[in-house]
Amino acid sequence: MFNIAGKSYAMNVITPVRWYLAWLNKVIFYAALKIPSTLSGLITLSLIHYARWVIIGRNQFPHMAPEQPREQLKYSYMLFFSNFNGSWDQYVDSFTFSIPGGLDMFWKWNVRYSKSVALTPFHRYIQYNQLETQHYYNAYPLAASNDVKSAKTVKAALIAFDQELRKGTDAEFLARYNTLLRGLQHDMGDMYPTPIVSMAAYQLERRHQRHERQLQELKAAASEGGV
Amino acid sequence: MTKQLDLLDIQGNVIRAYGRFGYPVARYVFLNIRNAARARTFVGKLTKKVTTATQWGDGIGQVKKPVWTVNVAFTYQGLKELEVPRESLMNFAPEFAAGMKARRDILGDDGPSAPELWDPIWQENRETRDKDVHIFVSLNASAPGWPANGRDLIETSYEQLELAWQWLKDIVAQHGGGVVILGGNVGDNGALLDYQDCKVVMEQGKPTAKEHFGYTDGIGDPVFEGVPYDTDRVNGRGKQLENQQWAPLATGEFLLGHIDEAKEYPPAPNPVLLSRNGTYMIYRKLHENVATFDAYLDEHGSKYPGGKELLAAKFVGRWRDNGAPLVKAPDAASKAVFDKQLAVADKEGQDELLCNFTYDADMSGAKCPFSAHIRRINPRASLQMISEPGDPPGSLKNSVGAFDTPGALTNRRRVLRRGLPYGDVKDRTRDDGNHGIIIMMLNSDINRQFEFVQQQWINYGNDFKAGNDKEILLGNHSVDDRFPSKAVLQVEPTGNDTPYILSKIPRLVETRGGDYFFVPSLTALRMIAKGLIDPT
Amino acid sequence: MGSNISGSAYALTILSPIRNGVVPGQEIAFADKVRDTLQNWNLLINSPMTKVPQTYLCRYFVLDDVYTQSLPGGSALDTLIDFLPIVPDSLRKWAMPTEDHLQSRYLVFSCNFHGGPNGDVDGYLQGMWNAISSNIREVWGYCYGFEKVHDAASFATYMKQCQLTASLFFVGSNDEPLPEQLKALYLKQEFARFAVANQGLDAATVRANYLAFSQRVKPTDLNGPTWVPGQYRL
Repeated sequence: MFNIAGKSYAMNVITPVRWYLAWLNKVIFYAALKIPSTLSGLITLSLIHYARWVIIGRNQFPHMAPEQPREQLKYSYMLFFSNFNGSWDQYVDSFTFSIPGGLDMFWKWNVRYSKSVALTPFHRYIQYNQLETQHYYNAYPLAASNDVKSAKTVKAALIAFDQELRKGTDAEFLARYNTLLRGLQHDMGDMYPTPIVSMAAYQLERRHQRHERQLQELKAAASEGGV
Repeated sequence: MTKQLDLLDIQGNVIRAYGRFGYPVARYVFLNIRNAARARTFVGKLTKKVTTATQWGDGIGQVKKPVWTVNVAFTYQGLKELEVPRESLMNFAPEFAAGMKARRDILGDDGPSAPELWDPIWQENRETRDKDVHIFVSLNASAPGWPANGRDLIETSYEQLELAWQWLKDIVAQHGGGVVILGGNVGDNGALLDYQDCKVVMEQGKPTAKEHFGYTDGIGDPVFEGVPYDTDRVNGRGKQLENQQWAPLATGEFLLGHIDEAKEYPPAPNPVLLSRNGTYMIYRKLHENVATFDAYLDEHGSKYPGGKELLAAKFVGRWRDNGAPLVKAPDAASKAVFDKQLAVADKEGQDELLCNFTYDADMSGAKCPFSAHIRRINPRASLQMISEPGDPPGSLKNSVGAFDTPGALTNRRRVLRRGLPYGDVKDRTRDDGNHGIIIMMLNSDINRQFEFVQQQWINYGNDFKAGNDKEILLGNHSVDDRFPSKAVLQVEPTGNDTPYILSKIPRLVETRGGDYFFVPSLTALRMIAKGLIDPT
Repeated sequence: MGSNISGSAYALTILSPIRNGVVPGQEIAFADKVRDTLQNWNLLINSPMTKVPQTYLCRYFVLDDVYTQSLPGGSALDTLIDFLPIVPDSLRKWAMPTEDHLQSRYLVFSCNFHGGPNGDVDGYLQGMWNAISSNIREVWGYCYGFEKVHDAASFATYMKQCQLTASLFFVGSNDEPLPEQLKALYLKQEFARFAVANQGLDAATVRANYLAFSQRVKPTDLNGPTWVPGQYRL
């Protein structure tokens, strides 16, 4: 199993909701979507690539063949999937510190939810209900969510800048170039492999190093044979 | 402040940075336990002399300020050798049990900071039982009679330190091989010593709070609830509130057995009396590459538009000469005004000038760069930041109300910093002299506080929207050409300046050793010494 | 009320029931075999998903069962019951969490991809089939109903029958097509290096260098120099 891919961690949490209250949770999510201020904490935290909440009614688990036994559940379930930057505790901690109210709003109808403050019971609640990821794929393991967003800014700025490359004197060019730099002063962070945020990340990094060596060997073998 | 701490139960070094209280020299001693019973008697003897955090006074019934102080702490193996019950041991934090060396990847102790290059005492620690560091004893000495005696401060205080050291050696000898003092601390010219010596850096015969790069250290040390002599130092050192006010941090961030910022008692071993009023200490020996620092500062100082001293200030967020914070004195002109105010201010006024500031008016980092030391170590409320469509390019602003409290991401990452410089810089053109700082950090959760700051804020930059860019001074800057280190010194987004990029930042500071320790309360020390701990 | 679409990003949630039973000739349950196969993907130099167009991030796991809540809690109803002066035993028992179990184990596939404003899930799934059908077969082959899958279209149909709708989909980064995002990341890294290398040079040199830089990195060319999906080394 592996919950980590580069700078991202895959969290899955499944928690029961009383079936007759599941609609209430859906209303809350709908409201969150319609009232932008509810998500401003999440946006400011800026640690998430993508996250989703899925509510599965107790009769809504996919039934794909007559021979598949029917589910007979007493509860409906809420599944939470997140792709975030940092280690498990860094993420959980950052969330409880900064948006405890938001977390409580989304989970408070779930059976035996602990509330996000105090921290230790909340940690236990998440750990208790977490599902480990077996295989996690990340298209940009070197990039945090911040990097993906700032890259978009950089790309747009460079394309715009290219329009005027040949206009004016060299001095005018340099002034425009300096303005470009100023506009991108928060978008120039390097993207290197992630720091080791947990011992699991250490294991993953060692696997990557092994693969890196294998790739180099393959390349070397190919060039020897090819030339 | 309503909370009253039991100062007689808390070790003095937890609450006091001794350097600030008139103790200019220190000696740190590490011992190995050879016999559990005799080691416990030794700890008992030591405990009778341990300096507490109590308030000092010369009146009747008051505790006099000691000429020299004694404090004690244990590693995980030390507690095990002292026969602390297994059930208690198992409830200590896992990173404390593992130790600093095992956490090298988390801490970024690589390249020249790798444990293979640490001082022998730290290389050998946790390898073979008889070389393990078990007990830490710190001795800090003052200089009675100085300056009236007309003598040198360091010389005067060293006389006292020698007395303390003799006292310690005597009680070690009295315990018939129960404990031995470990050698292998590197001193001048590579000498291996039985202790780590530290002393303040002197300038024109006067003690300073500076380290060997010339910066004033320890100005912004956190203030937490319950310390009677810190009540007037809360502004800029506690936590920043929505209404621009400051409040002391929760005690439980720094002392076990007290409520922390998450409104709970921090995880701690049983029984409560073993952990309450105790804390974890991170001991780190950091070598300073003064020649590399000077050369790098000269190289870029000659190109940097604001000149060399402003650049030096940009590394840290404070000016080197007097610690003036860049957010208050961002350039030479404002610095001159600041200096005048500082010169006429009383002690409290000086403290306000140096410490009481926020980044609210510097959200884009034009004054204090995002990779500057003090902004990385303690971002105050500045991580509540955002940019929105339509904002000036290159700007960030405060996302007011986004978080539960403005300092939400900072308040649980604070660390108390103790310690002093060691060695002398005899030749500034060489890196390899015996000079650096011993830093001792105290917190109630090593992983959540110290390790997080070290890994996420010093050796990485994502929380500062800076990708992998590291903190300028302490970052484990890469020696690998594929991953050169850099830092962007931001400018006003709406002005005409160009951001300056510090490129190929060399490793300025190297780890030379250290470990994680538990600093027990006086009650716990007495219990450990008697072998009477019942976790059931 | 819910939606799988946010801007041009799509949240695909698939729960495919795995057949109860033993792999013929082996002493391993179908679900455990699926898990083991996914585990093997971790040992490859890179994920098969690198080949599936427009995939931002995705994950696979086997859901064995749901959890019974035995921790103390403060959920809304727990707290409401606290307001009653005396709690009758029947009410207390009613508020106690009950034990709940799944009848099947499920292969969970949760994927974030670029689907465009209309959420082209068919296009994505067919692209997935065309890219990695043999990998798909080795994990989904043990699921109920998968025997009806024989091509890209029937795979898409099958997957949509296993699909659940998100109640809330939060996009914290970017919903552009993946090649745009990868190109942007490449440009960001290269531009930072350019800025370092050209700091302090005279105007004419910076201009000449920039022209060369722009020609080399080709900002608008998605096929030009860029990062490849799943690249974890520079």
